[in-house]
Amino acid sequence: MDINWLAMQRRTYFPLFILVIISLATSCVKDVDFDQAEDVVLTPVITSSALFTEVEASRFSENGMELETVRDSIANIEIFTDQFVIDNLVKVELVFEVSNSINRTFGLQIEFLNEADELQNEFSFDALPSPSGNDVLTEFTAVFEDESLEALKTSQKMVITLSLYPSTDGTFLNENSTGKIGLKSKGLFYFNISL
Amino acid sequence: MIIKRIVFILLMLFMHYSFSQNKQILFGFNDIPQSTLINPSTTLDNDWFMGFPLLSQFHFNLGSSNVSAYDLFADDGKDFNSKLRSLIFQLDSNDFFTSTQQLEVFTGGFSFGRGVEKDRYLTFGMYIETDVIAYHPKDYAILAYEGNASNIGKVFDLSDLNASGEMVSVFHVGMTKKLNSKFTIGGRAKIYNSIINVNSTKNRGSFVTREGQNNLLEHSFDLDLRVNTSGIASLAGDNSNDVSEDIKTLRRRLLLGGNLGLGLDFGITYQPKDQWTVEASLQDFGFIRHTKDIETYGVKGNYVFEGINPLFPEVAGGQTAEDYWNEVADNFEDIFELDTTVTKYTTWRPLKFNAAVRYAFGKKTSKECNCLADDVGYLNSVGAQLYAINRPRAPQLALTTYYYRRIFEGLRVKATYTIDPFSYYNVGLGISTQLGALHMYLMADNLLDYQNLAKAQSASLQFGLNLVFGRGGKQ
Repeated sequence: MDINWLAMQRRTYFPLFILVIISLATSCVKDVDFDQAEDVVLTPVITSSALFTEVEASRFSENGMELETVRDSIANIEIFTDQFVIDNLVKVELVFEVSNSINRTFGLQIEFLNEADELQNEFSFDALPSPSGNDVLTEFTAVFEDESLEALKTSQKMVITLSLYPSTDGTFLNENSTGKIGLKSKGLFYFNISL
Repeated sequence: MIIKRIVFILLMLFMHYSFSQNKQILFGFNDIPQSTLINPSTTLDNDWFMGFPLLSQFHFNLGSSNVSAYDLFADDGKDFNSKLRSLIFQLDSNDFFTSTQQLEVFTGGFSFGRGVEKDRYLTFGMYIETDVIAYHPKDYAILAYEGNASNIGKVFDLSDLNASGEMVSVFHVGMTKKLNSKFTIGGRAKIYNSIINVNSTKNRGSFVTREGQNNLLEHSFDLDLRVNTSGIASLAGDNSNDVSEDIKTLRRRLLLGGNLGLGLDFGITYQPKDQWTVEASLQDFGFIRHTKDIETYGVKGNYVFEGINPLFPEVAGGQTAEDYWNEVADNFEDIFELDTTVTKYTTWRPLKFNAAVRYAFGKKTSKECNCLADDVGYLNSVGAQLYAINRPRAPQLALTTYYYRRIFEGLRVKATYTIDPFSYYNVGLGISTQLGALHMYLMADNLLDYQNLAKAQSASLQFGLNLVFGRGGKQ
């Protein structure tokens, strides 16, 4: 074998070889800041169906007497007191839509109670009457932020009260009354989750 | 700095799955004994070899399609969350992150049979392979990032969760046989020993929030999700947080103590003319049967939720809101309850296909006699290679062209240019050197990105040390 040839080849390629080794050895990760991952904030807005019901006008009459209020409640609501929710929930909106074709004003009141049945928060609104018998829509949104949200986060029980206000003309609802009141609702839950 | 690199690697693993196992530089590089692991019909250029235990082959690859660490972590003053958001939307559920690592524990081989050149070559060994692939869980990411409130009517596809990971030790023995001057065939039998397997690749279902009929919204859940695990339950269930105990358990499993499987590699090399070669191989045609230390977690069911109804039992039906609420809570618990079962399952190894056309040229002339130097073969070769691997969603392909050069007896190099899902400018270089019987090799691809690895969508590195004797190795 020709020694000179080999030597020449070595001279030619050795620097290339060194270059590759150096480029591998000095390879690096530049102009990046992985600490940014600590800034990740997720801000999902979860929406969920909530209460809904529909009641015929005639059902507000019992044995010839008009029912002034009907009430229902839900205990064991654990979602607001869940640790993840307490840490990351920043705003809640409860959206109500009432369609009323009864010519009477209804009041809807929602109360939130803690485990010891102490009132934490409440709100109410009136659903407008329908003189014509057509559906009259009333929309109401309850917003919980800061203090009211903190109160919500201690709540485990919800009491819903539907009140039938006295009529202006002195009439009462009876078994033959027509029309109905329908309630629809949803919740919007705003999260701010820092990873 | 080390911590940041680890974070970087973990993030890549967490976020997706890849193209990892392409060894386009090693394929056909027959100065390197480990090239027979890709094609068992590759004829080695030596009489026998022995790998240095634990040092004969180390391979590492990391990749992600359509995104690099730089895209997300560039120190460019842009708001990180908006970069993350655009990435979540820009990638689709076929994009993936992948990582593969191989460590050869021992290997060796020798030629035998008829003729001076010996017509057969036997190779054997054991290596440990870790392989992870995760597709971009796009709809899950959107749900986590935006929630469902701004996505009314959007069907979240729960099959977007698709990932698997495995650590397996492989014992293998292969043989290359020259049939005649044109054909060489080869085969390799493998015993797979799965140390850890986690896979969740057959998820189905959807979640959608729509405008409701009876209420403002209606939520439909259709869930059929499943995660198979083997080798995890005993580690998680031993009530000890002692990692060194877990490592001891894993070490015991390395030698056929895990779940076993069988596989085959095939290869054929056809040399119609002195300078032309065509070769093809199939790798890891095999399966692993998981029967020991298995645990499957599943969630399955359908549920449509419109809200709590009725209210006011006196006027709107007998049930109280509380009764209904409890019913709803039970239904949710039922559908989301994690079923833990012990179900045997089978996983198929990722089947790989390699093919190449090679053309060799340029014999060395000797100055002394102005004739061709004896029996050193051609100094150069060029060729085209095709690589395909079967992956959970779809096969992945890569196309490589290369130039190979014997620079002198102790130094051979191969430069490659590859087009794959990660990039169109993947340049790789492999170097094989020999000093006496000591053989060393080093290969890396995506060299153009090595000045800033963060911009690379994939990178692989491979190196090893062998002792090689006879024929090419002798000179």
